[in-house]
Amino acid sequence: MKKKILVVEDEESLRLLYKDELTSEGYEVFTAGNGKEAIQQLEKGKPDLIILDIVMPVMDGMEALGRIVGKERKIPIILNTSYSGYRQDFMSWAADAYVAKSDDLTELKNKIRELLEKGKSR
Amino acid sequence: MKKILAMVLAGGRGERLYPLTRDRAKPAVPFGAIYRIIDFTLSNCLHSGVRRIYALTQYKSTSLHRHIQLGWNILSTPLGEFIEAVPAQQRIDEHWYQGTADAIFQNINILQVERPDLVLILSGDHIYKMDYRKMVAFHLEKGADLTVSAIRMERKLSREFGVIEVDEGWRIIGFQEKPEDPKTIPGDPGEILASMGIYVFNTEVLVRRLIEDARSDSNHDFGGDIIPMMIGKDQVFAFDFRQGDCGGTGYWRDVGTIDAYYEANMDLISITPQLNLYDSRWPILTYQFPSPSAKTVWMEEGRVGSALNSIISSGCIISGGNVKRSILSPKVTVHSFAEVEDSILLEGVDVARNAKIRRTIIDKEVQIPEGMEIGYYLDEDAKRFTVTASGIVVVPKGIRL
Repeated sequence: MKKKILVVEDEESLRLLYKDELTSEGYEVFTAGNGKEAIQQLEKGKPDLIILDIVMPVMDGMEALGRIVGKERKIPIILNTSYSGYRQDFMSWAADAYVAKSDDLTELKNKIRELLEKGKSR
Repeated sequence: MKKILAMVLAGGRGERLYPLTRDRAKPAVPFGAIYRIIDFTLSNCLHSGVRRIYALTQYKSTSLHRHIQLGWNILSTPLGEFIEAVPAQQRIDEHWYQGTADAIFQNINILQVERPDLVLILSGDHIYKMDYRKMVAFHLEKGADLTVSAIRMERKLSREFGVIEVDEGWRIIGFQEKPEDPKTIPGDPGEILASMGIYVFNTEVLVRRLIEDARSDSNHDFGGDIIPMMIGKDQVFAFDFRQGDCGGTGYWRDVGTIDAYYEANMDLISITPQLNLYDSRWPILTYQFPSPSAKTVWMEEGRVGSALNSIISSGCIISGGNVKRSILSPKVTVHSFAEVEDSILLEGVDVARNAKIRRTIIDKEVQIPEGMEIGYYLDEDAKRFTVTASGIVVVPKGIRL
């Protein structure tokens, strides 16, 4: 069974990049353009992991993080943002990892693998 | 000086205090004639120099919000002091608070904004006098991440409390929720340490543990979930309430039931109550609308207005009736030939002529009609009112008799 990943990202070009790269890694990828859409997606089906941008219109990643944790306590969440300042926010500590945005997705991919592995052993 | 923020958990339903909690949360239940239960915790904060306070409310909070707004709007905003009532807002989640830890987690934004060094978590449900500074000093001295205030209790009461197990240095090494077979205090097999629901946390550790708890299957309670999670992992200590008790008598009550509520009130009319409300070194503050002083009228043969061994609040008129061993909140009127004994009458109660009241709690504004007898025929009373196992009758608010 392919692992399902939900990518929440407002920039379309990035959404496509993540989808391509992660699909070729063997994951099944769903996307959402903001926090609100992400929560709607969650109602349809549970992903195995969520990648969450922070600065987005409609509902930002920080608010979405709280709501997702409230609904689905155990799905691993990676915060993925260009801004490091959010690490100071207590709510950001509710994420399982914090990865700075970069053209090179190596770190993100490593984190995904690590968290999904951890999930298996849980 | 460490920056301390107090979070008072004031959302308790107080189901076992029904019908006193039919229209109000437990912290808003009147106590000792002029107070509300939460006044004790808030007064303790003020006198301890903790003056940044959020009261987290939830169920039936209107009465509590009004009380805090009217009575506790006394701190200085320019000095950074405040007492603010915060209703449950479903900020994070679309449900009400699931447990005490969830109540704080759902308000994590407050901690984010305030950024205190220490968070003092309190319950708005308890009656006691305590200097929290002593507990904070102990917390810092021990280098603790969490300190839990604990009161010594007889071993046989263990089934009513969260029981803390400590080593010789008062480090917490175990926690049992209402155990049959409790761990006793080292060197004192007859006594247990009961958690008082009072916690001092280092903010960062609190946030991390709250998040961990929020992301796991748990009841989201400090007692049953957070403390056990932290034992062995963080620096967790118990603080002996005797060292912070500024009443000096070890007084601490959870008035969880009508009978406990009645007894705790009645203790106040004894000659030397365990809880001294007249001690000007640690006064309990409250909201009171100014009323004229209490007065008694009529002094003629067969018609004497009198009150004996009782607490009579301002605005009361004992007009030719007799009051014995009772507690009258403000603006209670007892008319001619009426008798009130061993009872608690809350604000605005009116007892008409020839009525007889015994061992009864009458909630606010109830009008007792002429000649009515309550507390004498419990079988009859039970048809209309709540009657407890020990025979205390409760006449609810809003009833028309």
